[in-house]
Amino acid sequence: MAASNPFPLSKEALLTCYRTMRTIREFEDRLHVDFSRGDIPGFVHLYAGEEASAVGILTHLGDGDRIASTHRGHGHCIAKGVDVVEMMKEIYGKKGGCGNGKGGSMHIADLSKGMMGANGILGAGAPLICGAALAAKFRKKNEVGICFVGDGASNQGTFLESLNLAAVWNLPVIFVVENNGYAESTSRDYATAVNSYVDRASGFGIPGITVDGTDFLAVYEAAGEVIKRAREGGGPSLLECKMVRFHGHFEGDAQTYRAPGELEDVRINHDCLKIFSAHVLSAGVISSDELAAIDKSVLALIEDSVQQAKAAPLPTLADLTTDVYVNY
Amino acid sequence: MSEAGSSCTPCIGVIANPVSARDIRRIVANAGNLQITDRVSMLLRVLGAAGSMGVKKVLMMPDSGGVSAMLLRSLQRELQLQHNFPQIEFLDMSPTTTVNDTFLAARMMRDAGVKAIIVLGGDGTHRAVVRECRDVPIAGMSTGTNNAFPDMREPTITGIAVGLYASGKLSPAQALVQNKLIEVSINEGERRDIALVDAVISTDRFIGARALWKMENLAAVYLTFADPQAIGLSAIGGLLQPVGRREPGGLAITLSDDPLLCRVQLLAPIAPGMVRTVGIAHWEAMPANQPFTVALGAGVVALDGEREMTFDSGDRVQLTLVEKAFPTVDVAACMQFAACNGLLRLSSQPT
Repeated sequence: MAASNPFPLSKEALLTCYRTMRTIREFEDRLHVDFSRGDIPGFVHLYAGEEASAVGILTHLGDGDRIASTHRGHGHCIAKGVDVVEMMKEIYGKKGGCGNGKGGSMHIADLSKGMMGANGILGAGAPLICGAALAAKFRKKNEVGICFVGDGASNQGTFLESLNLAAVWNLPVIFVVENNGYAESTSRDYATAVNSYVDRASGFGIPGITVDGTDFLAVYEAAGEVIKRAREGGGPSLLECKMVRFHGHFEGDAQTYRAPGELEDVRINHDCLKIFSAHVLSAGVISSDELAAIDKSVLALIEDSVQQAKAAPLPTLADLTTDVYVNY
Repeated sequence: MSEAGSSCTPCIGVIANPVSARDIRRIVANAGNLQITDRVSMLLRVLGAAGSMGVKKVLMMPDSGGVSAMLLRSLQRELQLQHNFPQIEFLDMSPTTTVNDTFLAARMMRDAGVKAIIVLGGDGTHRAVVRECRDVPIAGMSTGTNNAFPDMREPTITGIAVGLYASGKLSPAQALVQNKLIEVSINEGERRDIALVDAVISTDRFIGARALWKMENLAAVYLTFADPQAIGLSAIGGLLQPVGRREPGGLAITLSDDPLLCRVQLLAPIAPGMVRTVGIAHWEAMPANQPFTVALGAGVVALDGEREMTFDSGDRVQLTLVEKAFPTVDVAACMQFAACNGLLRLSSQPT
């Protein structure tokens, strides 16, 4: 094994990032199976295939930094440190979940971790993160806010208004466009007049960059610079991660809009976990045994979370009127 | 040669990279970002001008980054306005929005027999076209970050020059000029690539976000030419010992901040808006066909501004300057010849 580590993270940090990405993958793949069996109420939108974006970006953050997520939010939640068992209970609609089983997949939040919430309304996270970033600016602790949107949501008025607000208030916020190629099933060329998210930001005087969202190291390096810029008072920026998703827009989506062989190609050639593993293994920094050990422990974690979720009680009628209002 | 490139139906290719000028240098160096709308406006101008010179057909690289979609919308509007353009045909390929699109498009255009390829991009995009297709003349238009290789010029003029050449009004001897490049070889050709302007050795050992902007990581710079007015890493050579595009040979520079090794400290614009101090240990001319072996044990080779090839201890990295390696359309020479020989005069009164 080579003595030196060529990467900008320590071996321990690389192992942690791999564990987080693998946890997201197993979490989502398990939901894919359990949903198809009818075990899960409500809707789920799976993040599998996109892990390098969430982990490459959120590894730079602390609990005081806030994020606003999307309908496809499980990966962001896990990467921001939300408890996996509580997430699984929430998705199963059980007490003890992040929202005591009353919110489900698209309402997972944990304010103690700076995770302001997944969101069922496309583009709704953008104005929320502007509020969080404004608060961060006044707190003067060099904290930042990050908002994730999909390529479809970037056409929403809320997103464009938020770009304007972030620019005029010079907010410490990063708008991350997770471009997985499909706005549900609509092609971007059909639905977007200027098909460039960087250009959207330019229209408001905000710098934007595009990065290969399937390469953890590329995302990590680029995210480090945009986040550093925001912490130092450089204001908002936009980061477009070009990526792939392994499952449909929603579970049950037949994906008839994909080209023949596309999904197979994506899974073989654009799997961010395979790309990460190839990098660290070929550099001799991490061994395949170490990765396999993580894979095994993650599988056990996900199995345990499912068993705990299944065993947890359902909310009762009396729970219906609790948690409606919150005192601050 | 197929019918597409014959003189009766002069055909050219166009490769417009939708994601040039999108890398991290917009964040760390205030580099520009030429918007898709501007790229499409450039295309309309160059295509209209080439059509006016007799180009009937244009093969275009499709993309999923917004250029193709907006161009199609724009062309529909132009037809309503009764403006004439050459026939635009998109290549039958599925865009991946990676450099592979450029490689494939260049090959398909060469196979179709285009007379020239107009390229919209920066140094990296032009490198990708030449890597796949050294025998078809290219005409570059700057839409990238450093743009040391492509000309900064009004696209209408580029379109006229390419159109004059493609339609046979100018011969290759009148319209084309040959260029230098650097061939990079790792382990005697196990891995190969090229650079049109600069091949830079960095102590970084991963590709990551690709661009180079941290001077402390740079170990050596190899240049085909070095223009004092250039932006980017070739500016180091340009301000140290200029080498013209048409001069023989290139320049090899070893960098070091070590006070014991550094002979010259130089201020150089290594990226747009980013002027940095560069410590230079050694520099020498880089004669053609003479391999230079990289001294650094492990690192990455960046080609025309982007980290491309990692190497480790035990790998042997060699760089060789090659002259007369590929042709470009010499727009200035084309226009001069056209003016001196009245190629654009539709009628003249006898004097």
